[in-house]
Amino acid sequence: MWRKVLFLALVAAVPILLRKVDQNLGEFRAQEEALYLTSGQQVRRFFPGFEGLMADVYWIRSIQYFGGRRVFAAGKRFDLLEPLINITTELDPKFEIAYRYGAVFLSEPFPMGSGRPEAGVALLERGVRELPRSWYLQQNLGFFIYFFLKDPPRAAKALLEARKQPGSPIWLENMAATFLGEGGERAIARQIWRQMHDTLEDGIFKKNALNNIQRLDALDAVDDLNRVVQALTSRTGRHPRSLEELRAAGLLRATPVDPAGVPLHYDPALGVVEISRDSPLWRQPLPTARRYESF
Amino acid sequence: MGGMRRIAAVAANTFRETVRERVLYNLVLFAILMTLSGLLLNPLSLRQDEKIVKDIGLASMELFGTMIAVFIGVGLVSKEIERRSLHLLLAKPLSRDEFLLGKFAGLGLTLSANVAAMTAGLYATLWMIGRHSGPGLLAAVYGILLGLMLAVSIALLFSTLTSSALAAVCTVCVVIGGRFADVIRNMREVAPGAPGWLTTGLYYALPNFHTFDLKDRVVHGDPVGFHQLGWITLYGACYMGVVLLAALASFRRRDFQ
Repeated sequence: MWRKVLFLALVAAVPILLRKVDQNLGEFRAQEEALYLTSGQQVRRFFPGFEGLMADVYWIRSIQYFGGRRVFAAGKRFDLLEPLINITTELDPKFEIAYRYGAVFLSEPFPMGSGRPEAGVALLERGVRELPRSWYLQQNLGFFIYFFLKDPPRAAKALLEARKQPGSPIWLENMAATFLGEGGERAIARQIWRQMHDTLEDGIFKKNALNNIQRLDALDAVDDLNRVVQALTSRTGRHPRSLEELRAAGLLRATPVDPAGVPLHYDPALGVVEISRDSPLWRQPLPTARRYESF
Repeated sequence: MGGMRRIAAVAANTFRETVRERVLYNLVLFAILMTLSGLLLNPLSLRQDEKIVKDIGLASMELFGTMIAVFIGVGLVSKEIERRSLHLLLAKPLSRDEFLLGKFAGLGLTLSANVAAMTAGLYATLWMIGRHSGPGLLAAVYGILLGLMLAVSIALLFSTLTSSALAAVCTVCVVIGGRFADVIRNMREVAPGAPGWLTTGLYYALPNFHTFDLKDRVVHGDPVGFHQLGWITLYGACYMGVVLLAALASFRRRDFQ
């Protein structure tokens, strides 16, 4: 009899204790990620004949790691992202999606990605070597070189290579020519993101393309506002104290918000308007001399 | 002609006997469940559901098929010896060669039926996610089946030489060694001191299971020509022939008293 009572008591205690643990340690406590096997070659040695399956495992791990870090991690460091993606592509060199999306994860500026565009471009270059017939991969390479490394001639070359592949669309040549002609950069950027948005299937990457289009709209609005601030500064001899002052002067009709609905941030000390850090459209500037901000 | 009939009779009996094994159903069920688990990974894979279902399905087929081949294969002869039914069988007009070849064919038949069931499970899973894979997948399935038949022949050879437990260990070692054939061939690059004759000898002596692995090519939609299938079939048949002849020689000499 006492055994039954003990059994029932222990069964009842389990959820109560778990709730206590959750209260103390947090319900969504992150488990520190670790990478015991650091290269595809090592994984290959442990699982000979199952490289394709292991590539899937590492790809899902890469996605989970990236998503988990982006959403839950306090520091939002992406230290393991590059090795995870490299292991995936070393195990299955023809895993096209891992090159394409892996490059996005690596290249997007912090906190949307790990802010390492050189690593993203290197990944795409490796993908192009492994899958030389994939025009889509070469097109992505061209876009990434243009967007993140700001090297229009090299980007145009990649697009022209993509155009040589069977099934490639004719607009790649137009785009390459535009890159080489290099007019207003933001207009081209908007054109590319619009192109990607219209051709992508619904999902995280379509949303990302839309996010980038909205960001470009926000940057246009920021430029317009900065021009107004400068005009007022030169008229009054000082920076406006707030954007409300612009409204009072009749230069603004309402509090300016970006396309995500977050009010734009104004720094009265510098007299500069910028996208708010609270906005999903905010990006940390790239640490390179050629800045993504110029888009 | 009579010999063939007797081999077929032993094979049919072995097939009936092995399909009754409970472990077999567990393994096949587990393999099909593994394949179905690909459905759960769909939302996590960024539209790579088809590749993942195929990878999991083919890998499960190979992994669980090898387990069936090894663990049922090593028991085929030893069980008959332990139950003393072998004496009764060999007292009949049935040679030891016919008995062993019949056992091999019977388990081969069982494995073929299992692989067919797992293939049907894989196609059904692909159908469930709205992907209609063509017959190209069958090239990889054929490669897996050839590898499994080779594993059965190795298991049979060891089961004629030693106890079933030791035979299972030896078979697993050879199968794993065969999967590392390319590492053995290139061993001199990392260990220059390794004698060339040893690495080359081992490379050719071990069964190269990597040869039968067409999974990645098929999953990526790369074509596999009939001539390529022909070459791996010839290699597999030749290696199986060598192993089975060695098994027959060993079985002929074995004293069951």
